[in-house]
Amino acid sequence: MKLNRREFLALTGKTAAGAVIFAACGLPERELIVQSPVDLPEDLVRGEDAWYATSMGDFTNGDGVLVRVMQGRAKKIEGNPDHPVNRGKATARYDSALQLLYSPDRIREPMLRYSKAGNLVGITWEQADTRFREALANADGALTVVTNPIRGHLGSVASKFAEQFNGKYMPFDPVEQGVLHGAVKSVFGQDQLPTFDISNAQTVLSFGADWLGTWGSPAQFGVKFGEFREQSDRGYLIHAEPRMSLTAAAADLWLAPIPGTEGDLALGIASVIIDEGLVSPQNVAAFDVAVSGGLNNYGVTDVASRTGISVDRIEMAARRFADHTPAVAFGGGSAGAHTNGSFNLGAIYALNVLVGAIDSAGGVVPNPGSAFGDVSASATGEPFEAWESEIANWRAGNVETVIIRGTDIVHGMPNSVAIREALDQVPNVIVFGAVHDDTMDFADLVLPELTFLETWGTDIPEPGPGYQVVGTQQPVVAPTIKRDESGLISNARGFGDTLLAMSDGSYGSSMERIVSDALSDLHDTGRGSVSASTAKLFTNGVMQRGGWWDTSEKGSSSVGKVMAAKKNAEYSETGSLGTGDDFYLAPFLSNSLLDGRLAASPWAQQTPDPVSSASWSTWAEINSIEAKDLGIREGDVLLIRSNSGEIEVLAYPHPGVRPGVIGIPIGQGHKNGGRYAEERGSNVLSILVDEKDSETGALAWAATRVRVQRAGRRVKVPKFEGNVEARPIEPGVPVLVVGIGETSEEAEKANHYEYQKRFLGKEKEADSNE
Amino acid sequence: MTTAAFGTHNWGMVVDVDKCIGCNACVVACQAENNIPINTQDRVERARSIAWIRVERYWIGDFPDAKAQFIPIMCQHCENAPCEPVCPVYATYHDAEGMNIQVYNRCVGTRYCANGCPYIVRFFNYWEPVWPESLRNHLNPDVTVRSRGIMEKCSFCVHRIRRVARGARSAGVEIADGAIQTACSSACPTSALNFGNFNDPNSKVSKMRDDKRHYTLLDQFGTDPNVIYLAKIDANKKVGAGEASSHG
Amino acid sequence: MQQRRELDQVYTNRKLLNGQLDTPKWWAPTVSILGVIVLLGLIVIAIMINKGLGVTGLSRPVYWGLFITTFVFWVGISHAGIMISAILRLTQAEWRRPVTRAAELLTVFSLLTALVFPLIHAGRPWRIAYWIMPYDVARGIYPNIRSPLIMDPVAISTYLIGSSLFLYIALLPDLGNLRDRTAGWKNAMYTVLALGWRGNPRQWKMQTVGGILLSALMLPIFVSVHSIVSWDFAIAAAVEGWHSTIFAPYFVIGAVHSGVSAVVTMMALMRWLWKWDDFIRPEHFDALARPLIVVATGWLGFTFLELTFALYGQDAPEIALREMQMFEWPWNLLFIIFFLTAYAIPVPMWLFKRVRTNIALMFWTSILVNIGMWLERFLIIVPGLARRTPFVYTWEAYRPSAVEWTIFIWSFAWVTFLMLLFSKFFPLVPLFEQKESQVFTDDVMIGRAKVPAIVREAD
Ligand SMILES: Nc1nc2c(c(=O)[nH]1)N[C@H]1C(S)=C(S)[C@@H](COP(=O)(O)OP(=O)(O)OC[C@H]3O[C@@H](n4cnc5c(=O)[nH]c(N)nc54)[C@H](O)[C@@H]3O)O[C@H]1N2
Ligand code: SF4
Ligand code: SF4
Ligand code: SF4
Ligand code: SF4
Repeated sequence: MKLNRREFLALTGKTAAGAVIFAACGLPERELIVQSPVDLPEDLVRGEDAWYATSMGDFTNGDGVLVRVMQGRAKKIEGNPDHPVNRGKATARYDSALQLLYSPDRIREPMLRYSKAGNLVGITWEQADTRFREALANADGALTVVTNPIRGHLGSVASKFAEQFNGKYMPFDPVEQGVLHGAVKSVFGQDQLPTFDISNAQTVLSFGADWLGTWGSPAQFGVKFGEFREQSDRGYLIHAEPRMSLTAAAADLWLAPIPGTEGDLALGIASVIIDEGLVSPQNVAAFDVAVSGGLNNYGVTDVASRTGISVDRIEMAARRFADHTPAVAFGGGSAGAHTNGSFNLGAIYALNVLVGAIDSAGGVVPNPGSAFGDVSASATGEPFEAWESEIANWRAGNVETVIIRGTDIVHGMPNSVAIREALDQVPNVIVFGAVHDDTMDFADLVLPELTFLETWGTDIPEPGPGYQVVGTQQPVVAPTIKRDESGLISNARGFGDTLLAMSDGSYGSSMERIVSDALSDLHDTGRGSVSASTAKLFTNGVMQRGGWWDTSEKGSSSVGKVMAAKKNAEYSETGSLGTGDDFYLAPFLSNSLLDGRLAASPWAQQTPDPVSSASWSTWAEINSIEAKDLGIREGDVLLIRSNSGEIEVLAYPHPGVRPGVIGIPIGQGHKNGGRYAEERGSNVLSILVDEKDSETGALAWAATRVRVQRAGRRVKVPKFEGNVEARPIEPGVPVLVVGIGETSEEAEKANHYEYQKRFLGKEKEADSNE
Repeated sequence: MTTAAFGTHNWGMVVDVDKCIGCNACVVACQAENNIPINTQDRVERARSIAWIRVERYWIGDFPDAKAQFIPIMCQHCENAPCEPVCPVYATYHDAEGMNIQVYNRCVGTRYCANGCPYIVRFFNYWEPVWPESLRNHLNPDVTVRSRGIMEKCSFCVHRIRRVARGARSAGVEIADGAIQTACSSACPTSALNFGNFNDPNSKVSKMRDDKRHYTLLDQFGTDPNVIYLAKIDANKKVGAGEASSHG
Repeated sequence: MQQRRELDQVYTNRKLLNGQLDTPKWWAPTVSILGVIVLLGLIVIAIMINKGLGVTGLSRPVYWGLFITTFVFWVGISHAGIMISAILRLTQAEWRRPVTRAAELLTVFSLLTALVFPLIHAGRPWRIAYWIMPYDVARGIYPNIRSPLIMDPVAISTYLIGSSLFLYIALLPDLGNLRDRTAGWKNAMYTVLALGWRGNPRQWKMQTVGGILLSALMLPIFVSVHSIVSWDFAIAAAVEGWHSTIFAPYFVIGAVHSGVSAVVTMMALMRWLWKWDDFIRPEHFDALARPLIVVATGWLGFTFLELTFALYGQDAPEIALREMQMFEWPWNLLFIIFFLTAYAIPVPMWLFKRVRTNIALMFWTSILVNIGMWLERFLIIVPGLARRTPFVYTWEAYRPSAVEWTIFIWSFAWVTFLMLLFSKFFPLVPLFEQKESQVFTDDVMIGRAKVPAIVREAD
């Protein structure tokens, strides 16, 4: 047997040092090690802590969390093990949200701008209330309430408030999911998103949606992914996305289609399955009904040339998907963010029909409606089309008062809508928030808002776990008052309570009351996870657990139709700059900042991006071979220009992105946002072109083409990875890879052989060295 | 009822690399739990960021066969730790529960232990840690804030172990398997990180450790880590391809 | 061939005591300039201790950099003193005489300087006392004697004490001489320092025996010190390029190479500055250069072995390290400079006697050697850390900061400053040794023939 130095060391390390020397002296090695009699301070645990169960709806899709509180201070946020959505697990964003509570940049008092040209000046809450009332008094019928898509009672308070003043309630989501909701509705006939029984699926086929990173309910999906991998016949994940996301990295088969051709790919897979007769004729018939228009244009070779994926790979995906059932297909994210987004997602979800995955274990599991009559189980942003006309209204001076909360609309809107100019024409712009954001630059009244850790509320997870769930939110720390040396933060109020105080009181007096009334109603149903003799005890029980759920209350769905129109892969041609060398722009949600709502948190800022390991900045992911051809090196400052603007980013070439595609994270480029966020990186949302999904009018945020130019400067990318591209220099070190059924020892042996072969270039010698 | 005496536990971690999705939830959780100073942009750029657990990402192959492999790495709590003998002041030592302990108070900051550690999981405080006054509110009172000039690293969240152990002792019960979760293992959505007692043959980690995919990192150094890895699975890998099995 | 002229006692006294009895013109300005640099360096050190090591260019995993390199460099230089004095004294090489004092001084001052570096490179230098003293007897926590960082101070302080004694014993006759030629406070100082030296036969005997005994004692220490310093690295199995079993002899021989070269540099300087052409003569340079050729070639052999081990071991991280060290910018440039200066230029030149006896050439080649030997340490220490283990993900680069460079420069100014300060009060060439050799080598009349008094003289 031939040893390399590594193995030689391993042997001597274990035997020589460990056994021979010390055994000979009769002294085990450990005897020589003196256990130090000093303790580290961590050995002495002081104080008592309390863990409160609550929800953080603005930062998750309804996960249940526990907040550790000591002496009135929140210390840590973890998953709530009782909660059925995330089952005690977390994402990289939980604790970052905690830092918003203690942000040194929290707005401390209400602020007023006396004239549009003036500065914001601090005022008292009494003055603010008066100003707010005036703004409402003049606004009858000309009021718009803008929030992030809020689930639970806060969302319904916002919408009822708008209704009371004959105004509009318009949730805004820069990374729109409207196409997804539309497609789900058309295929499954369901309003709220279904869940995917990944835990029990043999094969998962996903498109565009980075469900392990940022899409949907990542903590829930993460838990399910763990179970998916734990199955005795380990699950197989196929993921289609033009760049390497977390999900693509976890995939057993990664397909990187030309952006916008995800629907073609799905139908190409379907046609392989049908042509090869891999599924039952009944399923094929059902599929034909669902997808009107047939699969004439979707022969595998045609699809291969349109999507840029080899026939082999498409066939491999199709066979695996059809043969290893239960299998489930889903998509979203960038796959739906094209002019043909609805078609793409419709085609993708229809694949479930082909493998009979609807309403079944390991397939698509529908979710039931809301447990509360007046609260929707679903929340999504208004389509971009609606926004364009709304903002035109603002610009035209038709809207008297705009109330904005939970979303930095100035940061989130593309340049094309000229949001700043429009806000200038609105007489009363009232913005709620904890930390100064870009929208507040256009606010007439800024109101400091309490965070989710200081307020009451409910949350209805979307997607839920397949049965009815209500999450509760409670103040786990006392609302913080004025600044002082002890670091207390801000004289803020809750958004819901402020609206309620301004309203006629017909739908509640305070969020606390609304929540307890709602829970009391729930108690009356006598269903679910908490049973108690009185409503009061019930409410306490629910609050303690962080929510209520009824596992017997399940959803149902009916197979609908995928629209026949827009079948052809139609990539935004008008977005093209008309040159040969333009790139498809693939914006993606930052794993730590999301769309930027966590940018004020230093933990979120510093967290390495999983793929590039970069932080504190905006970088552009470009295929490494292509970059080499173009003379682009890591850290080159790149000018990314679209038809609607230009941004500067740092180049990060890597092999995990399709040539011709440039991936840029969303979330930076704030003018304001506290010391950790302001003037940092650039905002890719600003250069999105005015392209919409043809069905829903949603913003086709992945349908922009850009030209890439070097600015001629080069800086260090702030990243955690060292200064060389990290590729293993020895097979299996440090990540040992085994095949199915292979032991680590066998894999190590094979790697050793591989290493010798590669290293010495002498296959024979390695062979003969037995 | 008797409770386990100090030393009857051997704490350890089993990391299933096949389940790690690289989400960094563990990294942020550890950051928050252990009062790790803010890794400012300057610190990141100068390769001085502190992350008691990090998720390394390795590239394999090129497009379209490119793969990104993630592996979480924290202190391996080696039974035979190369960081220990080199410390001139016994600021780092092995305790009776299988942990490598770092006593901040004794450390003089030679960084020798960091050179000794093959896993590069020791982090030096080049600067005094600073937080804006208001952010100090979230500091964990169970964990020391380290001054500049000293070494720090993953402690297996020893304060959590002690807290649960103290509770168990006063209640007169044994520490139940799974009762202690480190901040990282608690956060990890896929349960790639698993913490427990290797001395208990029935614990989850003891059972996982027997998986045929188990390996330890850099075993050539003979460090005998208390962190066991389970190999990543490549479902497309051809197993037992002639050369490997014929060799050896 | 004798190259010297005959010198009388008065001339010798006047020339060799010219530092102490009257001060050369260049002395005060040079010392002031050095003093300013020393002061600046101390301020920078103070700033660094006050602010923290963030002011250096160190990172993770390049935890050690310029300071440790310079530490090893000065420990290496310190080997000159013992090498010259002890070995030559024991082997009774007569040509050593003018050289010994300066060489021993270099040992003492470079050790003093070397010790500063591990001290200031620590994160909390004010706690260093914990290292060296068994400070916590009550709780039974002694320093960790398994750590080379404990062995280091022990070895180095033994070496420092030994060489200081050695220096002092050799200084006694000259102190007596100075006492007798000075007045006032200087006289008082020399009186105390001379320990009642009268120059009687018993004192001479004890002084000689003491010197020889100390020489014999110092030799093993000299070998041990740099061996132990090498274990700082060799013990770290985790660092590619460090964990090598040949490090001890490799470091010792390298130290001799650089230390003796430093003595050559210093001799040339002394000859020029004090115009000691009659005492420090070309034959001395010749005598030093010849063994240096052997030492340097032996050292080169070790260097070569180091590199071949990498290839032989087929160890991927080690090969990656060597690739960086030799082929990647800017390490390749450093490597080439290292190889040229430490060996390829000076050693072949020394093969020629014309070079060996040319003081200017010897001066510059010996300077080259020390540039090369400093780079050698740098190239051992830093690339190994920058390419740690197979964790490619953590591989980093290192660029020393201005603070580190300033402190590096400070160390040279500091050693020179100390030497010059010493020269103000004590003779740099041992007067008594010089005279002793004069007696030995004076021509005596045997019959009618005029022959050297002894035949031991080198040459
Ligand atoms: N009646 C009476 N009153 C007195 C005195 C007296 O003798 N008699 N003595 C006076 C004197 S001298 C003093 S010093 C004061 C002391 O008064 P306090 O400063 O109130 O001291 P403690 O009662 O020890 O409470 C300190 C709190 O800090 C918590 N704590 C411990 N460690 C940490 C940590 O790391 N972080 C955080 N955030 N909290 C931590 C503890 O759990 C505890 O709740 O009392 C004064 N008042
Ligand atoms: S991993 Fe490193 S720091 Fe941890 S015990 Fe092992 S050698 Fe020490
Ligand atoms: S840095 Fe601290 S713990 Fe590490 S070896 Fe030095 S003194 Fe010991
Ligand atoms: S065990 Fe605790 S200290 Fe160690 S990495 Fe995990 S969270 Fe951090
Ligand atoms: S939390 Fe778990 S899955 Fe996420 S990076 Fe850490 S170990 Fe991997």
